[in-house]
Amino acid sequence: MSLPDRIDPRPPRRIYRWDLDKTYLQTEFDSLRDLVRTAFQKAHQKVAVPGASALIRELSENGDSRLCIVSGSPKQMRAVLEEKLKLDGVRWDEFVLKDNVGNLLRGRFRALRGQVGYKLPAILESRVHAPVEAEEVLFGDDAEADAFIYSLFADLVAGRVDERVLSQVLEAGGVYPDDAERVREAWKKIPVGDPVRRIFIHLDRLTPPAHFTPYGPRVVPIFNYFQAALVLLADGHLTAPQVLKIAVEMVQTAGHNIITLSNSFQDLLRRGLPLQQAAVALSQALEGPNKLLAAMRPMPDILAAFSKRLAALGTPPPPPPVQAVDYVSLIHHALPRNHKGRSKPQ
Amino acid sequence: MVGTQPQPVTIAFDVMGTDHGPAEVVRGAAMLSLESPHIHTLLVGDRTLIDDALAETKHNGERISVQHAADFIGMDEKPGEALARKPNASVAVAARLVAEGEAQALVSAGNTGAGVLACARHFQLIPGVRRAALATVYPTRSVRGAKGDPFSLILDVGATVEATADDLVTFAVMGSAYARIISQNERPKVALLSNGIEPQKGPPRVVEAHARLSEMKDIHFIGNVEGIDIPKGTADVIVTDGFVGNVCLKMLEGVHDTVVELAQYAYKESLRWRAGLAMLSSGIQRIKDITDWNQYGGAPILGFDKIFIKAHGRSKSRAIANAGKVAAKVVSNNLGAAIREGLKT
Repeated sequence: MSLPDRIDPRPPRRIYRWDLDKTYLQTEFDSLRDLVRTAFQKAHQKVAVPGASALIRELSENGDSRLCIVSGSPKQMRAVLEEKLKLDGVRWDEFVLKDNVGNLLRGRFRALRGQVGYKLPAILESRVHAPVEAEEVLFGDDAEADAFIYSLFADLVAGRVDERVLSQVLEAGGVYPDDAERVREAWKKIPVGDPVRRIFIHLDRLTPPAHFTPYGPRVVPIFNYFQAALVLLADGHLTAPQVLKIAVEMVQTAGHNIITLSNSFQDLLRRGLPLQQAAVALSQALEGPNKLLAAMRPMPDILAAFSKRLAALGTPPPPPPVQAVDYVSLIHHALPRNHKGRSKPQ
Repeated sequence: MVGTQPQPVTIAFDVMGTDHGPAEVVRGAAMLSLESPHIHTLLVGDRTLIDDALAETKHNGERISVQHAADFIGMDEKPGEALARKPNASVAVAARLVAEGEAQALVSAGNTGAGVLACARHFQLIPGVRRAALATVYPTRSVRGAKGDPFSLILDVGATVEATADDLVTFAVMGSAYARIISQNERPKVALLSNGIEPQKGPPRVVEAHARLSEMKDIHFIGNVEGIDIPKGTADVIVTDGFVGNVCLKMLEGVHDTVVELAQYAYKESLRWRAGLAMLSSGIQRIKDITDWNQYGGAPILGFDKIFIKAHGRSKSRAIANAGKVAAKVVSNNLGAAIREGLKT
């Protein structure tokens, strides 16, 4: 008797890791009232950040990627969050939620708001099972510690952070010993490589971009997902027509227009991101036959707006320098908001 | 239910040549980007300085763009000469962008003369307007309009030194239209500044303007006022020529500064005076809030087909943001059309 043919899925070439609240979803949890309202929202009442679902869908088009979600939302919200993602046409491969009830019952109050002890082991454990050659792009926001945690993850995997620094960070970050152990165990299992290409930080709180300068050019603060799409076009993760699809969705559903999109484009140029070729690719895509683009303004207007923003700057600035990240001095970025003021180095 | 969204408007800011430096203007524009979703700002000046300031400031990058301009005109430079030497000065570039339709209004806290001259070179005068007028606002004892605006408008304060009767009438029409929009004051009281309230008082041009304004039904003309009436707020719009207006404005600023200095002197000099001032502190603070020109933001150059709001050289970010809001409001309410309409009557 012969065994039936088995077709294993292709190993992922790219892994996209997303946070949910304030990264994918427009969530308010700054007050108790916000928290309660968020907890009782139905799936259809939850609103995605403009362009986020379109970006995820376009990134999954190539069929060789994985979507891994690690969210600080409690496990009890899994059903409603999964339903929301399905409503948006988002398919995921991993979906990790926080065990806040467990933390509460075990008296682990620091873990309720702390992010380092939760997200860092979760994404390291996820990476253990990824192919060595799989590239990663991570999406977070400026409400918590995403830039810090994602950068630390990237540098741990790349071997740029040693055990001593890691211990200092885990201790200063108030990570419980068992979570710290999980971090070390997972880290040791991961082959050294440099898979993290980009870390996008959605500026939900409009944190000044200079706040993220210490993390180097790998971390890109973004005002919207059109900006992420432009960078991913330049990085080869998306094609120009895919970027235009994302832009169209933002125009149709979120009130974006030619001014906001061209300003977003210029904002990235001014920060030294090499988007000139991406602009050329976009121009070529716009000149092709595409009924979808009728939703935007006439083609000449779009091209003119982007060209003007490009010309307005004269010589494009050089890309920001790559630098080593000093995690010990940045630890205050990783602490819950009400601890940050007290923990900043003088 | 979707409310009526204000039409998007783009305001060009001349970032350079102010007393507090480019960062202050950038911070004002950043503030505007957070507070007014329908206002887009186009920052014109040294790109590196602008970017450095923006990177450190909370802002919404979707609503801000930058136009690099290599040169700028300093406060102490002679406008005509400086503009000739520096055709790519930030204020000239900003005015050109407004003229080309890239933005609908210009805000500058830099050299006033250079701003007026740049506008004169790039903008068109409204048909029927012979000379533009530089207006300014001054806090008064009485308030006006739906918002209880404590500021009255004085024009001209320096653009047209020798105004004719025609010019004074035009200034009255323009000032009235502006006050209607900005102070939400349906019938602003318009007066001529003279050396007596009687119609025949003053130089011939003032007497003639008085006679003509008295016959204009669309202008709520209340006759002549004297200098004493400016701080009283007898009129909402005070019309004069650029020479008298400028002298008047400088004197009012001097009085204000002297009062502040006297209060500071009194505070230092005597414990009794200090105690007295302390008891009055909440009242003094209220007066300060009411008359804070930072809240007003800027004053317009009237007469061109495009809007130019001149912010004070010492403007901090709040004043810059408010100048942007004033500019946007003037654009949205189509001041040019209101002036054209007023000049027909």
